[in-house]
Amino acid sequence: MIRLDRIEKTYFARERDVAAIGDISATIEAGEFVAVVGPSGCGKSTLLHLLAGFDEPTGGRVLIDGKPVVRGTVPKGLGYIFQKDTVLPWKRVRENIALGLTYRGASRSVIEQKVAALLKLGNLEGFGHAYPHQLSGGMRRRVALLMTLACDPQILLLDEPFGALDTHTRTLLHRELIGIWRKMRQTVVLVTHDLDEAVTLADRIIVLSRPPSRVLLDHRVDVPQPRDVFSVRDTPAFADNFRTIWRVLGEEFREDARAEAPA
Amino acid sequence: MSANPPAPPVAVPAGDGTTREERLLATARRSRATRLRLWLWQVALVTLFLATWEIGTRLPALSKSVNVFDPFFVSRPSQIVARLWDWTVGAKAGYLWPHLWSTVSATMVGLVVAVVSGFFVGLLFSQKRELAIVFNPFIVALNSLPRIAFVPLITMIFGLGLASKVVTAWFIVFFLVFFNTFKGGMAIEKELLDFCRTLGASERQLTRSVRIPNALAWTFTALPNAVSFSLIGVVISEFVGSTTGMGYLIIVSLATLNAADMFASLTVLSVVGVTLVSLFQVIERRLLQWSPEFREQS
Repeated sequence: MIRLDRIEKTYFARERDVAAIGDISATIEAGEFVAVVGPSGCGKSTLLHLLAGFDEPTGGRVLIDGKPVVRGTVPKGLGYIFQKDTVLPWKRVRENIALGLTYRGASRSVIEQKVAALLKLGNLEGFGHAYPHQLSGGMRRRVALLMTLACDPQILLLDEPFGALDTHTRTLLHRELIGIWRKMRQTVVLVTHDLDEAVTLADRIIVLSRPPSRVLLDHRVDVPQPRDVFSVRDTPAFADNFRTIWRVLGEEFREDARAEAPA
Repeated sequence: MSANPPAPPVAVPAGDGTTREERLLATARRSRATRLRLWLWQVALVTLFLATWEIGTRLPALSKSVNVFDPFFVSRPSQIVARLWDWTVGAKAGYLWPHLWSTVSATMVGLVVAVVSGFFVGLLFSQKRELAIVFNPFIVALNSLPRIAFVPLITMIFGLGLASKVVTAWFIVFFLVFFNTFKGGMAIEKELLDFCRTLGASERQLTRSVRIPNALAWTFTALPNAVSFSLIGVVISEFVGSTTGMGYLIIVSLATLNAADMFASLTVLSVVGVTLVSLFQVIERRLLQWSPEFREQS
């Protein structure tokens, strides 16, 4: 279980301090698939950084399973997927997937077994000996996901992981992600700017306001599972949920546009 | 998956009635012909150059009036070839080898010392910000000095043997490798390190599996330039003070005003330079075969 207890985050800069997160509290149960959406600069990614211990909040507490997250220490059982390509280019695909296991000092037979299973899970059989630059962007994303899954995370933090991909590849990856989550039931926190993606994948969507951000809406998505990523957009339930969230999120975007418009 | 198997190519004849296979072959033939034509141009240029040199220095009208055609200054290709023959298998058989070996070995030793030290210092400085800040002005100052001016001092301290040559080569190459590695070490993406931390890497494991390979890649990129600079350093050191080496042969040719010796030495040095640089380009490419930048080149 993840608990965000009155989180506040301000970045101190020479000219002026930037308040990213104003006051956020939320509780995420184990096995939930939560998406976080909001206008740019609202601290969506910062939230994930705080959860992973890459940074610490200026105020409030982050608790995972009751234990406070400490800056500089990644909580046990936590996986993180960045928007950037984080596959090591000088290692072959299988060595990349095995990386987390070698860090843990797993035996060679365990590694081999696990890597083979993961390659199969990611539809990458036959690419184990390839270098990352020989793969497509979507395949490299899958390798990054498999690198994380090799460590059996109970919590998966996804920081706009599909942002740089074309629609077709993104949809295929959505399907794979849903499949993996349905099988393994990790807690997933997905940060995205794409409301379509959020409604397609998540069971619950947290809408943040413009910075300094707070929770505007905590919405339970009632699109029935299991969902088919190719047709879910056409269902009335999808449209209803999308509209409910857009009513709130769209207003924030409008405010943003108004603030940026010349006086 | 949704993808259908690709349809087999249908052999539709072109307007002139040729088949697909014939057209593919014709394309390959055309590109081979283009390569051959360009290569022939290069051969023609070299031939023209050598012929002008050889014939010009044999025409009294030219050689007596224009310095660049006076064989006393520029020798001539046939004489240079004859001299190289003498030095290797002819009258003075074996004369060349010790000098050649002296230059090449000093170049390699200087290169290895400079690459290893430049790599370690570059990596260290890229990881320890404070160290980099403290040393930065001194390194910039040292790098902007005309380093060649130090060669007489180096020779004074390290004598006329191998040591001076290696130190000179190191002094010139070190900064190249250092700056490259330093830049690479600094350029590493924070996300890559953070990602590996979430996979459970300790700081030591991060260094071994991410920081060092990342910096090494930048070091390797500097290799072809580094070997070329190392050779320059060694030859300059041989000019200033030594008893062996290709640079020494050149200086002796100058002292005795012997153009054939001079050009024979220059020819050997050019071959050494081109060979070493191409060799290290191949090595670099092998070491960085995983890198997308090299995929396009090969």
